[in-house]
Amino acid sequence: MTAVPVDAHPYPYTFDPSRTALLVIDMQRDFLEPGGFGESLGNDVSLLRRTIGPLRAVLTACRAAGLAVIHTREGHQPDLSDCPPSKLRRGRPSRRIGDLGPKGRILVRGEEGHDIIDELAPQPGEPVVDKPGKGAFYATGLDGLLDVRGVESLIVTGVTTEVCVHTTVREANDRGYECLVLRDCVGSYFPEFQRSALDMISAQGGIFGWVAASGDFLDALRTTGTVAPHPTPASH
Amino acid sequence: MQKLAAADVPELHGTGAPPAAPPVRLGPVLARPYLWPYDGPVEIPRVALLCIDWQTDFCGPGGYVEAMGYDIGLTRAGLPATARLLEHVRALGMLVIHTREGHPPDLSDLPANKRWRSAQIGAEIGSPGPCGRILVHGEPGWQIVPEVAPAPGEVVIDKPGKGAFYATNLDLVLRTHGITHLILTGITTDVCVHTTMREANDRGYECLILSDCTGATDPANHAAALHMVTMQGGVFGCVSTSTEVIAASTAEVIAAGTAERP
Repeated sequence: MTAVPVDAHPYPYTFDPSRTALLVIDMQRDFLEPGGFGESLGNDVSLLRRTIGPLRAVLTACRAAGLAVIHTREGHQPDLSDCPPSKLRRGRPSRRIGDLGPKGRILVRGEEGHDIIDELAPQPGEPVVDKPGKGAFYATGLDGLLDVRGVESLIVTGVTTEVCVHTTVREANDRGYECLVLRDCVGSYFPEFQRSALDMISAQGGIFGWVAASGDFLDALRTTGTVAPHPTPASH
Repeated sequence: MQKLAAADVPELHGTGAPPAAPPVRLGPVLARPYLWPYDGPVEIPRVALLCIDWQTDFCGPGGYVEAMGYDIGLTRAGLPATARLLEHVRALGMLVIHTREGHPPDLSDLPANKRWRSAQIGAEIGSPGPCGRILVHGEPGWQIVPEVAPAPGEVVIDKPGKGAFYATNLDLVLRTHGITHLILTGITTDVCVHTTMREANDRGYECLILSDCTGATDPANHAAALHMVTMQGGVFGCVSTSTEVIAASTAEVIAAGTAERP
Protein backbone atom coordinates (compact mmCIF):
# COMPACT_ATOMS: atom_id res chain seq x y z
CA MET A 1 0.00 0.00 0.00
CA THR A 2 1.03 3.57 -0.63
CA ALA A 3 2.98 5.35 2.06
CA VAL A 4 1.71 8.90 1.93
CA PRO A 5 3.87 11.63 3.51
CA VAL A 6 2.13 14.43 5.42
CA ASP A 7 3.85 17.75 6.08
CA ALA A 8 4.01 17.53 9.89
CA HIS A 9 5.98 18.45 13.02
CA PRO A 10 8.63 17.51 14.00
CA TYR A 11 9.10 15.87 10.57
CA PRO A 12 6.97 14.35 7.79
CA TYR A 13 4.50 11.67 8.85
CA THR A 14 4.06 8.65 6.60
CA PHE A 15 1.12 6.32 6.80
CA ASP A 16 -0.44 3.44 4.95
CA PRO A 17 -4.15 4.27 4.53
CA SER A 18 -5.12 0.60 4.72
CA ARG A 19 -3.49 0.42 8.18
CA THR A 20 -4.71 3.76 9.49
CA ALA A 21 -7.75 4.70 11.57
CA LEU A 22 -9.34 8.07 12.24
CA LEU A 23 -9.97 8.42 15.97
CA VAL A 24 -12.66 10.94 16.94
CA ILE A 25 -12.44 11.49 20.69
CA ASP A 26 -15.35 12.58 22.91
CA MET A 27 -17.15 14.97 20.52
CA GLN A 28 -20.10 14.77 22.92
CA ARG A 29 -22.89 17.20 23.66
CA ASP A 30 -21.83 17.35 27.33
CA PHE A 31 -18.50 18.86 26.26
CA LEU A 32 -19.45 20.86 23.15
CA GLU A 33 -22.97 22.18 23.54
CA PRO A 34 -24.33 24.97 25.72
CA GLY A 35 -25.83 23.48 28.87
CA GLY A 36 -23.54 20.46 28.92
CA PHE A 37 -21.14 19.30 31.61
CA GLY A 38 -18.22 21.33 30.20
CA GLU A 39 -20.13 24.57 30.33
CA SER A 40 -21.39 23.80 33.85
CA LEU A 41 -17.73 23.85 34.95
CA GLY A 42 -17.49 27.43 33.67
CA ASN A 43 -15.90 26.71 30.29
CA ASP A 44 -16.43 28.53 26.98
CA VAL A 45 -17.67 25.81 24.62
CA SER A 46 -17.09 27.96 21.53
CA LEU A 47 -13.39 27.17 21.88
CA LEU A 48 -14.21 23.52 21.25
CA ARG A 49 -16.82 24.13 18.57
CA ARG A 50 -14.13 25.55 16.26
CA THR A 51 -13.05 21.97 15.62
CA ILE A 52 -16.39 20.84 14.22
CA GLY A 53 -15.97 22.29 10.70
CA PRO A 54 -12.46 20.95 10.02
CA LEU A 55 -13.32 17.64 11.64
CA ARG A 56 -16.39 17.20 9.42
CA ALA A 57 -14.17 17.66 6.36
CA VAL A 58 -11.66 15.10 7.68
CA LEU A 59 -14.41 12.64 8.59
CA THR A 60 -15.96 12.90 5.12
CA ALA A 61 -12.60 12.44 3.38
CA CYS A 62 -11.60 9.47 5.56
CA ARG A 63 -14.92 7.76 4.95
CA ALA A 64 -14.57 8.34 1.20
CA ALA A 65 -11.01 6.98 1.25
CA GLY A 66 -12.09 3.90 3.18
CA LEU A 67 -10.12 4.53 6.39
CA ALA A 68 -11.38 2.91 9.56
CA VAL A 69 -13.28 5.45 11.67
CA ILE A 70 -13.64 4.98 15.44
CA HIS A 71 -15.47 7.29 17.85
CA THR A 72 -15.11 7.46 21.62
CA ARG A 73 -17.37 8.75 24.39
CA GLU A 74 -16.49 9.40 28.03
CA GLY A 75 -19.22 8.32 30.41
CA HIS A 76 -20.44 5.96 33.08
CA GLN A 77 -23.07 3.34 33.77
CA PRO A 78 -26.31 4.76 35.22
CA ASP A 79 -25.44 3.32 38.66
CA LEU A 80 -21.97 4.99 38.42
CA SER A 81 -20.39 1.66 39.34
CA ASP A 82 -17.50 2.36 36.96
CA CYS A 83 -16.86 5.90 38.26
CA PRO A 84 -14.00 6.04 40.78
CA PRO A 85 -14.90 7.97 43.96
CA SER A 86 -11.94 10.27 43.38
CA LYS A 87 -13.40 11.31 40.00
CA LEU A 88 -16.92 11.71 41.35
CA ARG A 89 -16.15 13.69 44.48
CA ARG A 90 -13.02 15.73 44.00
CA GLY A 91 -12.94 19.44 43.24
CA ARG A 92 -16.49 20.15 44.41
CA PRO A 93 -17.95 21.18 41.02
CA SER A 94 -21.33 22.83 40.94
CA ARG A 95 -22.64 19.72 39.23
CA ARG A 96 -21.31 16.23 39.60
CA ILE A 97 -21.25 13.26 37.25
CA GLY A 98 -24.65 11.60 37.46
CA ASP A 99 -26.48 14.79 38.50
CA LEU A 100 -29.37 15.92 36.35
CA GLY A 101 -28.34 18.58 33.83
CA PRO A 102 -30.17 20.25 30.95
CA LYS A 103 -29.23 17.35 28.68
CA GLY A 104 -30.01 14.52 31.08
CA ARG A 105 -27.74 13.02 33.72
CA ILE A 106 -24.21 14.32 33.28
CA LEU A 107 -21.77 11.89 31.63
CA VAL A 108 -24.16 8.97 31.99
CA ARG A 109 -24.46 6.51 29.12
CA GLY A 110 -27.73 6.68 27.25
CA GLU A 111 -28.42 10.31 28.16
CA GLU A 112 -28.73 12.98 25.49
CA GLY A 113 -25.69 14.92 26.73
CA HIS A 114 -23.50 11.84 26.62
CA ASP A 115 -24.07 11.23 22.93
CA ILE A 116 -21.99 12.51 20.03
CA ILE A 117 -23.05 15.82 18.43
CA ASP A 118 -25.27 15.51 15.34
CA GLU A 119 -22.66 17.12 13.06
CA LEU A 120 -20.28 14.19 13.62
CA ALA A 121 -22.75 11.38 14.24
CA PRO A 122 -21.21 7.92 13.71
CA GLN A 123 -22.34 6.02 10.63
CA PRO A 124 -23.52 2.42 10.81
CA GLY A 125 -20.50 0.16 11.11
CA GLU A 126 -18.28 2.73 12.79
CA PRO A 127 -17.37 1.51 16.28
CA VAL A 128 -18.18 3.75 19.24
CA VAL A 129 -15.93 3.05 22.23
CA ASP A 130 -17.40 3.96 25.62
CA LYS A 131 -14.68 4.75 28.13
CA PRO A 132 -14.86 5.46 31.87
CA GLY A 133 -11.60 7.45 31.98
CA LYS A 134 -9.71 10.07 30.05
CA GLY A 135 -7.69 7.54 28.09
CA ALA A 136 -9.49 5.53 25.38
CA PHE A 137 -7.42 2.37 25.99
CA TYR A 138 -7.96 1.80 29.72
CA ALA A 139 -10.94 -0.46 30.48
CA THR A 140 -12.13 -0.52 26.85
CA GLY A 141 -11.86 -2.77 23.81
CA LEU A 142 -10.11 -0.17 21.65
CA ASP A 143 -6.79 -2.04 21.40
CA GLY A 144 -8.66 -5.13 20.17
CA LEU A 145 -10.71 -3.13 17.65
CA LEU A 146 -7.52 -1.70 16.18
CA ASP A 147 -5.74 -5.04 16.17
CA VAL A 148 -8.52 -6.87 14.32
CA ARG A 149 -8.46 -4.14 11.65
CA GLY A 150 -4.68 -4.29 11.29
CA VAL A 151 -4.35 -0.65 12.31
CA GLU A 152 -0.83 0.68 13.00
CA SER A 153 -1.37 4.43 12.58
CA LEU A 154 -3.90 6.76 14.18
CA ILE A 155 -5.14 10.12 12.98
CA VAL A 156 -6.22 11.70 16.26
CA THR A 157 -8.96 14.31 16.60
CA GLY A 158 -11.44 15.44 19.27
CA VAL A 159 -11.58 17.10 22.68
CA THR A 160 -10.06 18.18 24.90
CA THR A 161 -6.50 18.45 23.66
CA GLU A 162 -4.66 18.30 26.98
CA VAL A 163 -6.99 15.87 28.75
CA CYS A 164 -8.61 13.04 26.78
CA VAL A 165 -6.72 13.53 23.51
CA HIS A 166 -3.34 13.69 25.26
CA THR A 167 -4.04 10.75 27.57
CA THR A 168 -5.15 8.62 24.61
CA VAL A 169 -2.13 9.60 22.49
CA ARG A 170 0.18 8.69 25.39
CA GLU A 171 -1.52 5.30 25.76
CA ALA A 172 -1.40 4.70 21.98
CA ASN A 173 2.26 5.68 21.77
CA ASP A 174 3.29 3.24 24.51
CA ARG A 175 1.42 0.54 22.57
CA GLY A 176 3.44 1.29 19.42
CA TYR A 177 0.81 3.14 17.35
CA GLU A 178 2.00 6.03 15.16
CA CYS A 179 -0.12 9.03 16.10
CA LEU A 180 -0.73 12.13 13.99
CA VAL A 181 -2.67 14.81 15.87
CA LEU A 182 -4.55 17.29 13.67
CA ARG A 183 -4.08 20.66 15.34
CA ASP A 184 -7.28 22.29 14.05
CA CYS A 185 -9.36 19.18 14.80
CA VAL A 186 -8.46 19.08 18.49
CA GLY A 187 -9.72 21.69 20.95
CA SER A 188 -9.22 22.91 24.49
CA TYR A 189 -11.15 25.25 26.76
CA PHE A 190 -7.77 26.87 27.50
CA PRO A 191 -5.80 28.36 24.55
CA GLU A 192 -2.49 28.13 26.47
CA PHE A 193 -2.99 24.40 27.00
CA GLN A 194 -3.88 23.90 23.34
CA ARG A 195 -0.45 25.30 22.49
CA SER A 196 1.56 23.58 25.21
CA ALA A 197 -0.14 20.21 24.72
CA LEU A 198 0.60 20.24 20.99
CA ASP A 199 4.20 21.30 21.71
CA MET A 200 4.64 18.38 24.13
CA ILE A 201 3.59 15.84 21.49
CA SER A 202 6.26 16.84 18.99
CA ALA A 203 8.97 17.65 21.57
CA GLN A 204 12.18 15.56 21.81
CA GLY A 205 11.95 14.39 18.22
CA GLY A 206 8.26 13.53 18.45
CA ILE A 207 8.19 11.81 21.80
CA PHE A 208 4.45 11.06 21.53
CA GLY A 209 3.92 11.52 17.78
CA TRP A 210 3.36 14.12 15.10
CA VAL A 211 1.26 17.27 14.71
CA ALA A 212 -0.14 18.63 11.42
CA ALA A 213 -2.90 20.85 10.07
CA SER A 214 -5.90 18.98 8.70
CA GLY A 215 -5.36 20.61 5.29
CA ASP A 216 -1.93 18.99 4.99
CA PHE A 217 -3.35 15.63 6.00
CA LEU A 218 -6.16 15.96 3.43
CA ASP A 219 -3.65 16.91 0.71
CA ALA A 220 -1.73 13.71 1.44
CA LEU A 221 -4.88 11.61 1.58
CA ARG A 222 -5.95 12.90 -1.86
CA THR A 223 -2.81 11.48 -3.44
CA THR A 224 -3.91 7.95 -2.63
CA GLY A 225 -6.83 6.02 -4.05
CA THR A 226 -9.65 4.51 -2.05
CA VAL A 227 -8.36 1.67 0.07
CA ALA A 228 -9.91 -1.77 0.02
CA PRO A 229 -12.66 -2.30 2.59
CA HIS A 230 -11.30 -3.38 5.96
CA PRO A 231 -11.86 -6.96 7.02
CA THR A 232 -14.10 -5.86 9.84
CA PRO A 233 -16.05 -8.50 11.72
CA ALA A 234 -19.72 -8.70 10.79
CA SER A 235 -20.71 -7.88 14.37
CA HIS A 236 -19.45 -4.32 13.97
CA MET B 1 10.03 1.71 61.64
CA GLN B 2 7.03 3.67 62.77
CA LYS B 3 4.50 1.27 61.32
CA LEU B 4 2.67 0.18 64.47
CA ALA B 5 0.78 -3.00 65.06
CA ALA B 6 -1.52 -3.18 68.09
CA ALA B 7 0.73 -5.83 69.66
CA ASP B 8 3.71 -3.47 69.58
CA VAL B 9 2.09 -0.79 71.71
CA PRO B 10 3.14 -0.85 75.35
CA GLU B 11 0.45 -0.86 78.02
CA LEU B 12 0.30 2.73 79.19
CA HIS B 13 -2.49 2.39 81.71
CA GLY B 14 -1.57 -0.68 83.68
CA THR B 15 -4.15 -3.40 83.36
CA GLY B 16 -6.70 -3.98 80.63
CA ALA B 17 -6.44 -3.89 76.86
CA PRO B 18 -3.73 -1.67 75.44
CA PRO B 19 -5.02 1.52 73.82
CA ALA B 20 -5.08 1.39 70.04
CA ALA B 21 -2.14 3.11 68.39
CA PRO B 22 -3.08 6.41 66.78
CA PRO B 23 -3.16 5.83 63.03
CA VAL B 24 -0.28 7.58 61.31
CA ARG B 25 -1.93 9.77 58.72
CA LEU B 26 -1.05 12.18 55.93
CA GLY B 27 -3.04 15.30 55.20
CA PRO B 28 -4.58 17.60 54.62
CA VAL B 29 -1.73 18.70 52.37
CA LEU B 30 -1.79 22.30 51.20
CA ALA B 31 -2.12 21.81 47.44
CA ARG B 32 -3.72 23.20 44.29
CA PRO B 33 -6.58 23.19 43.47
CA TYR B 34 -7.83 21.61 46.71
CA LEU B 35 -6.58 20.38 50.08
CA TRP B 36 -5.22 16.93 49.24
CA PRO B 37 -6.53 14.31 49.41
CA TYR B 38 -10.15 14.93 48.48
CA ASP B 39 -11.39 12.44 51.08
CA GLY B 40 -9.54 13.84 54.10
CA PRO B 41 -6.40 12.67 55.90
CA VAL B 42 -5.33 9.25 54.70
CA GLU B 43 -3.62 6.51 56.69
CA ILE B 44 -0.01 6.03 55.63
CA PRO B 45 -0.46 2.34 54.68
CA ARG B 46 -2.85 3.47 51.90
CA VAL B 47 -0.29 5.86 50.34
CA ALA B 48 2.63 5.05 48.05
CA LEU B 49 5.46 7.30 46.94
CA LEU B 50 6.32 6.78 43.27
CA CYS B 51 9.86 7.63 42.15
CA ILE B 52 9.67 7.65 38.39
CA ASP B 53 12.68 7.03 36.15
CA TRP B 54 15.43 8.70 38.20
CA GLN B 55 17.87 6.96 35.86
CA THR B 56 21.33 7.96 34.73
CA ASP B 57 20.03 7.85 31.14
CA PHE B 58 17.69 10.73 32.02
CA CYS B 59 19.53 12.73 34.68
CA GLY B 60 23.10 11.47 34.90
CA PRO B 61 26.24 12.53 33.06
CA GLY B 62 26.59 10.75 29.73
CA GLY B 63 23.04 9.41 29.80
CA TYR B 64 20.41 9.32 27.07
CA VAL B 65 18.99 12.78 27.73
CA GLU B 66 22.40 14.43 27.84
CA ALA B 67 23.28 12.60 24.60
CA MET B 68 20.25 14.29 23.03
CA GLY B 69 21.82 17.66 23.87
CA TYR B 70 19.63 18.68 26.82
CA ASP B 71 20.79 20.36 30.05
CA ILE B 72 20.60 17.65 32.74
CA GLY B 73 20.60 20.38 35.39
CA LEU B 74 16.89 20.66 34.62
CA THR B 75 16.16 16.95 35.12
CA ARG B 76 18.38 16.81 38.24
CA ALA B 77 16.64 19.79 39.88
CA GLY B 78 14.23 17.61 41.85
CA LEU B 79 16.83 15.19 43.26
CA PRO B 80 17.66 16.92 46.60
CA ALA B 81 14.00 17.41 47.55
CA THR B 82 13.13 13.85 46.52
CA ALA B 83 16.01 12.47 48.60
CA ARG B 84 14.75 14.42 51.66
CA LEU B 85 11.20 13.23 51.09
CA LEU B 86 12.34 9.62 50.69
CA GLU B 87 14.07 9.78 54.06
CA HIS B 88 10.90 11.18 55.64
CA VAL B 89 8.43 8.67 54.17
CA ARG B 90 10.71 5.71 54.86
CA ALA B 91 10.60 6.72 58.55
CA LEU B 92 6.80 6.78 58.29
CA GLY B 93 6.77 3.28 56.82
CA MET B 94 5.20 4.45 53.57
CA LEU B 95 5.40 2.13 50.56
CA VAL B 96 8.05 3.36 48.11
CA ILE B 97 8.01 2.23 44.49
CA HIS B 98 10.66 3.05 41.90
CA THR B 99 10.26 2.74 38.15
CA ARG B 100 12.78 2.42 35.34
CA GLU B 101 12.15 2.83 31.62
CA GLY B 102 14.07 0.39 29.49
CA HIS B 103 14.15 -2.65 27.27
CA PRO B 104 15.78 -6.09 27.43
CA PRO B 105 19.07 -6.52 25.53
CA ASP B 106 17.27 -8.12 22.55
CA LEU B 107 14.94 -5.06 22.39
CA SER B 108 12.02 -7.44 21.96
CA ASP B 109 9.54 -5.05 23.62
CA LEU B 110 10.79 -1.90 21.86
CA PRO B 111 8.16 -0.59 19.42
CA ALA B 112 9.65 0.08 15.99
CA ASN B 113 8.50 3.70 15.98
CA LYS B 114 10.08 4.41 19.38
CA ARG B 115 13.40 3.03 18.14
CA TRP B 116 13.19 4.93 14.85
CA ARG B 117 12.39 8.23 16.52
CA SER B 118 15.23 7.90 19.02
CA ALA B 119 17.57 7.25 16.10
CA GLN B 120 16.30 10.38 14.32
CA ILE B 121 17.60 12.52 17.18
CA GLY B 122 20.94 10.75 17.45
CA ALA B 123 20.34 8.63 20.57
CA GLU B 124 19.01 5.33 19.25
CA ILE B 125 17.73 3.04 22.00
CA GLY B 126 19.98 -0.02 22.20
CA SER B 127 22.95 1.72 20.59
CA PRO B 128 26.20 2.18 22.53
CA GLY B 129 26.35 5.38 24.58
CA PRO B 130 28.76 6.74 27.16
CA CYS B 131 26.93 4.75 29.89
CA GLY B 132 26.43 1.50 28.01
CA ARG B 133 23.63 0.66 25.59
CA ILE B 134 21.00 3.38 25.79
CA LEU B 135 17.90 2.40 27.83
CA VAL B 136 18.84 -1.27 27.98
CA HIS B 137 18.26 -3.34 31.14
CA GLY B 138 21.39 -3.89 33.21
CA GLU B 139 23.47 -1.11 31.62
CA PRO B 140 24.97 1.62 33.84
CA GLY B 141 22.87 4.34 32.18
CA TRP B 142 19.67 2.46 32.98
CA GLN B 143 20.40 2.34 36.74
CA ILE B 144 18.75 4.68 39.22
CA VAL B 145 21.10 7.49 40.34
CA PRO B 146 22.63 7.06 43.84
CA GLU B 147 20.89 10.11 45.37
CA VAL B 148 17.50 8.33 45.28
CA ALA B 149 18.58 4.70 44.92
CA PRO B 150 16.05 2.08 46.08
CA ALA B 151 16.53 0.82 49.63
CA PRO B 152 16.61 -2.95 50.17
CA GLY B 153 13.09 -4.34 49.86
CA GLU B 154 11.62 -1.44 47.89
CA VAL B 155 9.70 -2.36 44.77
CA VAL B 156 11.27 -1.53 41.39
CA ILE B 157 9.02 -1.65 38.32
CA ASP B 158 10.57 -1.97 34.86
CA LYS B 159 8.44 -0.42 32.14
CA PRO B 160 8.80 -0.39 28.36
CA GLY B 161 6.76 2.78 27.84
CA LYS B 162 6.28 6.23 29.28
CA GLY B 163 3.39 5.13 31.50
CA ALA B 164 4.22 2.94 34.51
CA PHE B 165 0.93 1.02 34.28
CA TYR B 166 1.05 -0.24 30.69
CA ALA B 167 2.64 -3.69 30.34
CA THR B 168 3.76 -3.79 34.01
CA ASN B 169 2.44 -5.22 37.29
CA LEU B 170 2.28 -1.82 39.02
CA ASP B 171 -1.52 -1.88 39.39
CA LEU B 172 -1.36 -5.37 40.94
CA VAL B 173 1.38 -4.30 43.36
CA LEU B 174 -0.59 -1.25 44.45
CA ARG B 175 -3.85 -3.16 44.93
CA THR B 176 -2.07 -5.96 46.77
CA HIS B 177 -0.73 -3.39 49.23
CA GLY B 178 -4.13 -1.69 49.60
CA ILE B 179 -2.85 1.56 48.10
CA THR B 180 -5.47 4.15 47.14
CA HIS B 181 -3.40 7.35 47.12
CA LEU B 182 -0.22 8.14 45.17
CA ILE B 183 2.46 10.80 45.53
CA LEU B 184 4.41 11.26 42.31
CA THR B 185 8.03 12.32 41.92
CA GLY B 186 10.45 11.82 39.07
CA ILE B 187 11.29 12.75 35.54
CA THR B 188 10.29 14.03 33.19
CA THR B 189 7.27 15.96 34.39
CA ASP B 190 5.50 16.21 31.04
CA VAL B 191 6.41 12.76 29.71
CA CYS B 192 6.72 9.77 32.06
CA VAL B 193 5.37 11.40 35.23
CA HIS B 194 2.32 12.87 33.48
CA THR B 195 1.57 9.71 31.53
CA THR B 196 1.72 7.68 34.75
CA MET B 197 -0.44 10.21 36.63
CA ARG B 198 -3.08 10.06 33.87
CA GLU B 199 -3.07 6.25 33.95
CA ALA B 200 -3.34 6.25 37.75
CA ASN B 201 -6.16 8.80 37.71
CA ASP B 202 -8.21 6.73 35.24
CA ARG B 203 -7.73 3.75 37.57
CA GLY B 204 -9.19 5.69 40.50
CA TYR B 205 -6.01 6.47 42.46
CA GLU B 206 -6.02 9.88 44.19
CA CYS B 207 -2.83 11.53 42.93
CA LEU B 208 -0.53 14.28 44.16
CA ILE B 209 2.37 15.50 41.99
CA LEU B 210 5.21 17.44 43.64
CA SER B 211 6.58 20.45 41.75
CA ASP B 212 9.94 20.41 43.56
CA CYS B 213 10.46 16.66 43.05
CA THR B 214 9.94 16.63 39.28
CA GLY B 215 11.65 18.21 36.29
CA ALA B 216 11.64 18.35 32.50
CA THR B 217 14.05 18.95 29.66
CA ASP B 218 12.02 22.07 28.84
CA PRO B 219 11.04 24.36 31.76
CA ALA B 220 7.93 25.54 29.89
CA ASN B 221 6.70 21.97 29.54
CA HIS B 222 7.34 21.38 33.27
CA ALA B 223 5.22 24.42 34.17
CA ALA B 224 2.47 23.61 31.68
CA ALA B 225 2.25 19.99 32.82
CA LEU B 226 1.81 21.06 36.44
CA HIS B 227 -0.74 23.72 35.53
CA MET B 228 -2.81 21.21 33.52
CA VAL B 229 -3.26 19.06 36.61
CA THR B 230 -4.93 21.89 38.52
CA MET B 231 -7.58 22.77 35.93
CA GLN B 232 -11.24 21.78 36.05
CA GLY B 233 -11.20 21.19 39.78
CA GLY B 234 -8.13 18.97 39.58
CA VAL B 235 -8.71 16.92 36.45
CA PHE B 236 -5.82 14.55 37.26
CA GLY B 237 -5.41 15.32 40.99
CA CYS B 238 -3.37 17.98 42.81
CA VAL B 239 -0.01 19.78 42.78
CA SER B 240 2.04 20.49 45.91
CA THR B 241 5.63 20.36 47.21
CA SER B 242 7.65 17.97 49.34
CA THR B 243 7.76 20.63 52.06
CA GLU B 244 3.96 20.55 52.34
CA VAL B 245 3.86 16.76 52.38
CA ILE B 246 6.44 16.66 55.15
CA ALA B 247 4.59 19.36 57.10
CA ALA B 248 1.31 17.48 56.75
CA SER B 249 2.75 14.31 58.22
CA THR B 250 5.41 15.50 60.69
CA ALA B 251 2.94 16.01 63.55
CA GLU B 252 1.84 12.45 63.04
CA VAL B 253 5.45 11.24 63.18
CA ILE B 254 5.88 12.97 66.53
CA ALA B 255 2.61 11.55 67.82
CA ALA B 256 3.62 8.07 66.74
CA GLY B 257 7.01 8.48 68.37
CA THR B 258 5.38 9.57 71.62
CA ALA B 259 3.07 6.59 71.59
CA GLU B 260 6.03 4.26 71.30
CA ARG B 261 7.89 5.86 74.19
CA PRO B 262 7.16 4.24 77.58
